[in-house]
Amino acid sequence: MFKQETDQTKETVKVLLDGEPRELQSGVSVAAALLADGQIISRISPSSHKPCAPHCLMGVCFECQMEIDGVQQQSCIVQVKEGLKINRRLTGSKGEEK
Amino acid sequence: MSKIYDAVVIGAGPAGISASARLAEMGLQVIMLDEQQRLGGQIYRNIQQSSQKTRDDMGDDYTRGLNLALRFEKSGAACCSGASVWDIEPDGYVYFSKDHQSKQIRANYIVIATGAMERPVPFPGWNLPGVMGAGAANNLAKEAGLTPDCNVVMAGSGPLLLLEACLLIKKGVKIQAILETTPKFLSADAMLKVFSALKRIDFLKKGMKMVGDIKKSGVPHYKGITKLRALGSDKVEGVEAYNGSQRLYYPADMLLAHFGVIPNNHIYRLLGCHLDWNHEQRYWYPRTDKWGRTNFDTVFAAGDGAGVKGALAAEYKGELAALEIGHSLGIIPKYERDLMAKPIEDELAFDNHPRPFVDAVFAPVFSKDSFDDDTTICRCENIRIGDIRKAIGEGVREVNELKIVTRCGMGSCQGRMCGPAMAEITGAELALSPNEVGVLKIRPPLKPIPLGEVAEMELEGTGAGPADLFKNQSK
Repeated sequence: MFKQETDQTKETVKVLLDGEPRELQSGVSVAAALLADGQIISRISPSSHKPCAPHCLMGVCFECQMEIDGVQQQSCIVQVKEGLKINRRLTGSKGEEK
Repeated sequence: MSKIYDAVVIGAGPAGISASARLAEMGLQVIMLDEQQRLGGQIYRNIQQSSQKTRDDMGDDYTRGLNLALRFEKSGAACCSGASVWDIEPDGYVYFSKDHQSKQIRANYIVIATGAMERPVPFPGWNLPGVMGAGAANNLAKEAGLTPDCNVVMAGSGPLLLLEACLLIKKGVKIQAILETTPKFLSADAMLKVFSALKRIDFLKKGMKMVGDIKKSGVPHYKGITKLRALGSDKVEGVEAYNGSQRLYYPADMLLAHFGVIPNNHIYRLLGCHLDWNHEQRYWYPRTDKWGRTNFDTVFAAGDGAGVKGALAAEYKGELAALEIGHSLGIIPKYERDLMAKPIEDELAFDNHPRPFVDAVFAPVFSKDSFDDDTTICRCENIRIGDIRKAIGEGVREVNELKIVTRCGMGSCQGRMCGPAMAEITGAELALSPNEVGVLKIRPPLKPIPLGEVAEMELEGTGAGPADLFKNQSK
């Protein structure tokens, strides 16, 4: 869905995404790093039970909300850091308790 | 007892940065709180870490932020990033959450510079994955160098839509079509306002070059389209709209929608600031004097959050608020405040010349027909526009009542995404203006935080406990 400009620093760190180890770009928000990685779906809406994706990318819409280190947070304002535990609770994913 | 700052500035966009820098330059103790990790707000997002390519793409309107950021750093103002403000009181107490800890700080003056957001306009399919704001795409480019790499359709109205379209065209993105809801012909009102804009030929030239670039690119570009619709089941697969009676359809993996920009005014509503209604651009903004002082002596509003005027105006308004605070604290006498303010006010007036024209050209128009019963209005609680209309049909006359009856606006975004449309729909149904149907009440916390964080917080002052923060105040 997105391509990344070649002059971006591509340092990555290890995170736990839905229970699986994964390398994500550091220095950007979790939402941006996941989109760069081709992972569009951020959550399953608890009310409509349909997939959601980041919409505003500026902390307004809450469509990118996911469980990060045990707390529901807007992933567009949380930075990627080594060892983050990110749970989107998508269908079929195992998830990981804090 | 914790430290009392002379001023706390909320928001690190152009208004917040310039206000903080000016306050610190006057020797005042100032702290700037911002939700993001790096200063810049939306317009100067990631400016200090941006790559050369990004700066070249975004141009001078972006790189101006470099000097501003540098000025901030030299000023000695403190910056607390990653701090999400969740409550604020006119007596100077500000509560924020950072790194899973909540803190209370106190300042003599508060400058609120929380900026603007893209106007949320519900249309069928707007909540499908793949539908994003045009500003969202712009943010991803600045923050992470991301460029859409798929079939893109752009739709909506406003200068930023065209600006983003030009940017994507320049980068070689395959845009299927640009579908503007802006009317095909200028309104009489807009034509009258062109005279003021003529004082800024440079600005008009920029706009004309933008339209010229889009034309040259050969991307299909329609104005005055209706019945915009994103199609798809679990993600967007195509976009449909009508040009008169002609049906347009484009296959698309991404729809970048944009309907102008409105103040992010939740924090003013939480505080109980008096608001005014902008009839043309259809949004609420805090009532202030020329320095940005709200109805609370100690609270100032600066930047787009106080009325959308753009990045330069935001920067100037931050300065003006800082000067008045400096004067109020006895740092500078009145004549010095006025002397320093004069050139800034002149710049502000010069910058504002094209604004009435632009606002008139892109004035949003809503009617009963703008909204479809089956469209989801509240993403958080999955409420349809039909549910709102049904409640109105049953006698509900006010948006807070609608919220109680339907749950629309009760979810985690706290009405940020549905509030403006809720007022438009209610107004249209009752043949009233949207400013006559109430404004959603905002209560703390402004952003959801774990209750444990509140319980662990050290509180000073009023003798109140953490639970008192959430009392049902008559705000």
